Amino acid sequence: MDRTILDISSLFVTVEEKPILKGLDLHINEAEVHILFGPNGSGKSTLLSSLMQLPGYSIQSGEIKFKDQIINELKTDEIAKMGIGLSFQHPPAIHGVTLSKFLEKINQADDLENQVKELALEDFLYRDLNTGFSGGELKRAEILKLYAQNPDLVLIDEPESGVDLENIAIIAKAINKILQYDKPCKERKKSALIITHTGHILDYVEADIGHIIIDGKIVCSGNPRTLMHAIKQNGYSSLTTKGKDHDK
Amino acid sequence: MINEILDEGALQALKNVAFDQSKDIDGTFLAADDRVVQSRSISDDLEILPVEAALEKYQWLRKKLFSLVPIDKDEYVKRVAANEKKLGYFIRVKEGKNIFFPIQTCYLINNNNFTQMTHNIVICEKNSQLHLISGCTTNAHITKGTHLGVTEYFINEGALLTTTMIHSWGSEVEVYPRSGAQIGKNAKFISNYIALTKVKKIQMNPAAYIYSGGLAEFYSVVYAPKGSQLDLGSQAFLQGDGATANIVSRSVSNGGDIIIRGQITGNEAGARGSMSCNGLMLDKNSQIHAIPELVANDPNLDLSHEASVGMISRETLAYLMASGINEEDARGLVIEGFLDLKVPGLPDYLQRQIDDMIKKCRASTAI
Repeated sequence: MDRTILDISSLFVTVEEKPILKGLDLHINEAEVHILFGPNGSGKSTLLSSLMQLPGYSIQSGEIKFKDQIINELKTDEIAKMGIGLSFQHPPAIHGVTLSKFLEKINQADDLENQVKELALEDFLYRDLNTGFSGGELKRAEILKLYAQNPDLVLIDEPESGVDLENIAIIAKAINKILQYDKPCKERKKSALIITHTGHILDYVEADIGHIIIDGKIVCSGNPRTLMHAIKQNGYSSLTTKGKDHDK
Repeated sequence: MINEILDEGALQALKNVAFDQSKDIDGTFLAADDRVVQSRSISDDLEILPVEAALEKYQWLRKKLFSLVPIDKDEYVKRVAANEKKLGYFIRVKEGKNIFFPIQTCYLINNNNFTQMTHNIVICEKNSQLHLISGCTTNAHITKGTHLGVTEYFINEGALLTTTMIHSWGSEVEVYPRSGAQIGKNAKFISNYIALTKVKKIQMNPAAYIYSGGLAEFYSVVYAPKGSQLDLGSQAFLQGDGATANIVSRSVSNGGDIIIRGQITGNEAGARGSMSCNGLMLDKNSQIHAIPELVANDPNLDLSHEASVGMISRETLAYLMASGINEEDARGLVIEGFLDLKVPGLPDYLQRQIDDMIKKCRASTAI
């Protein structure tokens, strides 16, 4: 039987008193990879930030359950320790804290050194965290962070934005490693919720379910490739009228 | 010998400023209140004398006294000049000699309310190299006192002098060091300053006069808890083509008052100077006032500065916490990183000693 890892029901979130999420429901099982599509301002990044209880995101009502525990009231670090990891779209530059020092503080992985090599970040270990990194370097460092954290649910905000094709391949390979794609299907436990604008990541990461979020609610779920194709063909507006469970 | 003269409180204080005779060193100078406890050089290439003895030995030395720090600079220098008992060190490295291991010097205030007045002279002859580690501290049982110190550094053509000074005073001590450095043609002067413990007041603004091809670098890492008042600066006067000055300061205020001064004056074409003053405030009662100044007296200069003062940003804390680090540890990580002073070109063993000093100071003050 599928085991639920994340269960969000009727979530309402405001940012600076402006309603962004308006009754969002989402259900993710263990070992499932979900993709989130949506136009700008629809609430994609707000959802990930709200899950982590980042400052500025105020949950008005609704419930977020992770591993059967309500996490609405928990602090950000407590949520991370429970097993949720977030790859930021725009990580802040932190002067004085080297990537190496940061990884040392958070590392739960056994073979981090290999991943440092795989993500070509050896030369960045003694540089200040996210300081002067290019777009691709920032993304690679964020994925390395997730690998070190070894979370059960990974939240990735636009892994391909500002990244060239070569970097996408490197990043996707690391994401697949985090999601245990090197293991037999039955042994996989890790889940993911990935935001994508372009859908390029679908060429590299095997996703199970796609969702479309519009105006703070999930309006449609289904095969992620089919959804992406439909968005490319007709835009988001065409999907909102078809209702849920598109192409399922 | 030191163990027989000084009590446990004094010995502990010496450790806090890295005065450690078990390490590889080429010489030491130690004074407690107004008494020289130890003055010795292990190398024939290096002379270490109490300044009184040096003035008797070398008549020419009298001309150098107060040549870089004028007597009329302020009331503190005047008091040092008027003090009959001359306390201080004279250190001279002979021409072309490289003193590999550092020289340790230390001033200790060993009695409450003592006013210690010192005058030091350091001479690096042509193409010589010297590393100084200077500690200034008070007996662990002492809280009050005053330290007035004049130091004059003469770094001749092609020579290198690095000084690493660590201050760890009693909580009610007032400190007024006055120093000047003359950096000759193609010579280098690297000055590191660390003060991470509570002190009533430290006020200093050392000056460096840099000639053609010479380099002066000032690095400072300071921490001011509530009740500490730090007014710290560095002045560099670029006196020749290719003269270079770099000033880097990192200041953390946790309820204390800090003024960070920096002034680079370019007097000759082809000189360069840069300054970076960063302040981190840990609470709303903290105060940091950064005053970076550039003075150009020639159009062909390359001078720049950057300054920033602020608290740890909400975004930074949120980012670190989202990786599973609790808020207290996240703040600690940022502060530790902020205070992590890396000095380019410093020998590895000296950099390690600086790292150790900062670590030790942070542990003792729970920063």
